[in-house]
Amino acid sequence: MYSLGIQSLSEKFLEFWVNFFTYVSANYMKILYLTWEHIYISGIALLLTVIICIPTGIYITRNEKLAPYVIGFANICQTIPSLALLGMLISVVGIGDKNAIIALTLYALLPVLQNTYTGIKNVPKSATEAGRGVGMTEFQILKMVELPLARPVIIAGIRVASVWIIGTATLAAAIGGGGLGSLIFSGLSFIRNDIIFAGALPATTLALSIDYGLKKLQEAMSPKRRAARLNKLAENKAKDSNNQKEMEMDA
Amino acid sequence: MVTFENVSKEYPDGTVAVQNLNLEIEKGELVVLIGPSGCGKTTSLKMINRLEEPTSGTIYVDGKDISSTNPVALRRSIGYVIQQIGLFPHMSIEENIAIVAKLHKWKKNKMAKRVDELLILAGLTPPSKYKYRLPDQLSGGQQQRIGVLRALAVEPNVVLMDEPFGALDPISRESLQNELIDLQQRLKKTIVFVTHDIDEALKLADKIVIMRQGKVVQAGTPAEIQAKPVNKFVADFIGQERLASVGADSPVYVIMEDAPLVVTPDIDAQLVLEQIEDLGRESAQIVDKSGRWLGMAQLPQVKRAARQGAKVKQAAVAGRKLYIEEAVLSDAAEMLIDADLPIPIVDETNKFVGLVTSNGIAKLTISRLNKQKKMQEQAQLAADGADKKGVS
Ligand SMILES: Nc1ncnc2c1ncn2[C@@H]1O[C@H](COP(=O)(O)OP(=O)(O)OP(=O)(O)O)[C@@H](O)[C@H]1O
Ligand SMILES: [Mg+2]
Repeated sequence: MYSLGIQSLSEKFLEFWVNFFTYVSANYMKILYLTWEHIYISGIALLLTVIICIPTGIYITRNEKLAPYVIGFANICQTIPSLALLGMLISVVGIGDKNAIIALTLYALLPVLQNTYTGIKNVPKSATEAGRGVGMTEFQILKMVELPLARPVIIAGIRVASVWIIGTATLAAAIGGGGLGSLIFSGLSFIRNDIIFAGALPATTLALSIDYGLKKLQEAMSPKRRAARLNKLAENKAKDSNNQKEMEMDA
Repeated sequence: MVTFENVSKEYPDGTVAVQNLNLEIEKGELVVLIGPSGCGKTTSLKMINRLEEPTSGTIYVDGKDISSTNPVALRRSIGYVIQQIGLFPHMSIEENIAIVAKLHKWKKNKMAKRVDELLILAGLTPPSKYKYRLPDQLSGGQQQRIGVLRALAVEPNVVLMDEPFGALDPISRESLQNELIDLQQRLKKTIVFVTHDIDEALKLADKIVIMRQGKVVQAGTPAEIQAKPVNKFVADFIGQERLASVGADSPVYVIMEDAPLVVTPDIDAQLVLEQIEDLGRESAQIVDKSGRWLGMAQLPQVKRAARQGAKVKQAAVAGRKLYIEEAVLSDAAEMLIDADLPIPIVDETNKFVGLVTSNGIAKLTISRLNKQKKMQEQAQLAADGADKKGVS
């Protein structure tokens, strides 16, 4: 009995993989297309989130009184179950991509907004004072001091937002938005794990890779790495000019 | 060049930081503001470049009422060394120094040349070693120098310095003070300098302004102030601070010998004996290749080891030492009274740092006595001068 159970389990497992590969090889064009659609929806939503949240986040550091309301609004958007948010938006913008993009954007406001706000608030006062002291305008202080110092925190917020958006974008299919979610939904209705997996795997990979990519970007932009690059550049330059001198001497 | 006219400053929370300040700072003068913590020195300084606005009164820079100038342009034309250093943590040292030049839109070449020049001036050579570091990759004292360089970068006519040498050890402080004097003689900037250290004030100032609770208590040349302190507060301030500058609880490094005899453990004792006798010392410090202190070898023990043909480590005694981080002069003095032998100074990783001997204490005492005598003479001279002026 017992051994039979294990056997049937491993048989099922094997069957799943066979089905999965058959499905993928028969439908890879469709999967690729849906992946592209997924990237498209998530990408636009993420872009909108960033475009809205970074300026707003900066604005509320200058107008503290508004901060609790703005962040409160973003918090509410994030708390509403995403499926409900999508549903409610149908009555406003109808079904399709547009609806999905707006819903995803609203859903992901909080991490970027919150991190922009706290990132800038946490810039040491000595640094902004120094900026003012050497004669920077308020805009220059923002550009040359506050944003670079807040950048790691802001990018961390974008990372969270991007993972949320890519994950939640699978729900977009429920309101006709397309993307990898449509595979998951059809897998669910046919009770076919292999089809669900064919949608979930690329979606997960997508989320993990953008998270990883942003993390690497952040590391590459860190002041330490930048200083090391500057140093290397100067060293190479010195070496080049030395070589040149030697060549001139030889000649 | 800089004039305060009935200037007062009350912060929004009701703190009155400066009260009815009147001060005239001539072109090319180095004026030192000094006084206890919280007496309004930083606030006075910040009002000059409009980082703070006076609640009443007027400040003139170069004859112009600054309340009608553009604050950004004003700040770019005035060098400012910030009390807490205030380097930009994300910018390289080069970028930090060049920031004002960048705001002035200098050409890149000119900027790079100027940065090298300044780093060399501050003894941070070769510049390429420091230029591409971040501020937190420099020591506190080096950071402070960068803060000063940043303020001098575009050669402003007026420079505000808020405790610019506060975080430095006595030796670098002294050398930077000398550099500032040098620089001042060549360039004749108008400098407003804030410090806590009366010795620094006496050394640097053309004019000293002693403040207390937002008011000027006395202003005058160093000699005038020493000769005729207007009240007990000033007299105490000059006297106490002066004695406090080196005292029983000063760190031991102020009397450390800089060239003690150091040997590695595996040399023959005979060789060490010769070195000790040649140099006229009484002991050698045994230090391994990585700088760790293994012990002290005194003359009698070295002699014995030499007779036996042994290595010098045979003669080492390791118990007597002081830690540089915590030891103060009184610790050293007590040990020297117990036994008049040199005291090795080590750091927390047992690395050898230097030697303190009774000789060092004697030198310190003599130099202090000399200094006192000189001061009294100076004060007498100034008092005589002031009296004569009064008569004629
Ligand atoms: N932004 C501020 N708001 C309210 N009070 C302030 C502010 N800045 C300074 N003060 C107060 O004003 C007084 C003078 O401060 P200031 O910084 O000018 O002193 P200081 O002489 O530079 O002291 P220190 O030697 O400690 O640097 C102090 O009582 C201080 O607490
Ligand atoms: Mg101060």
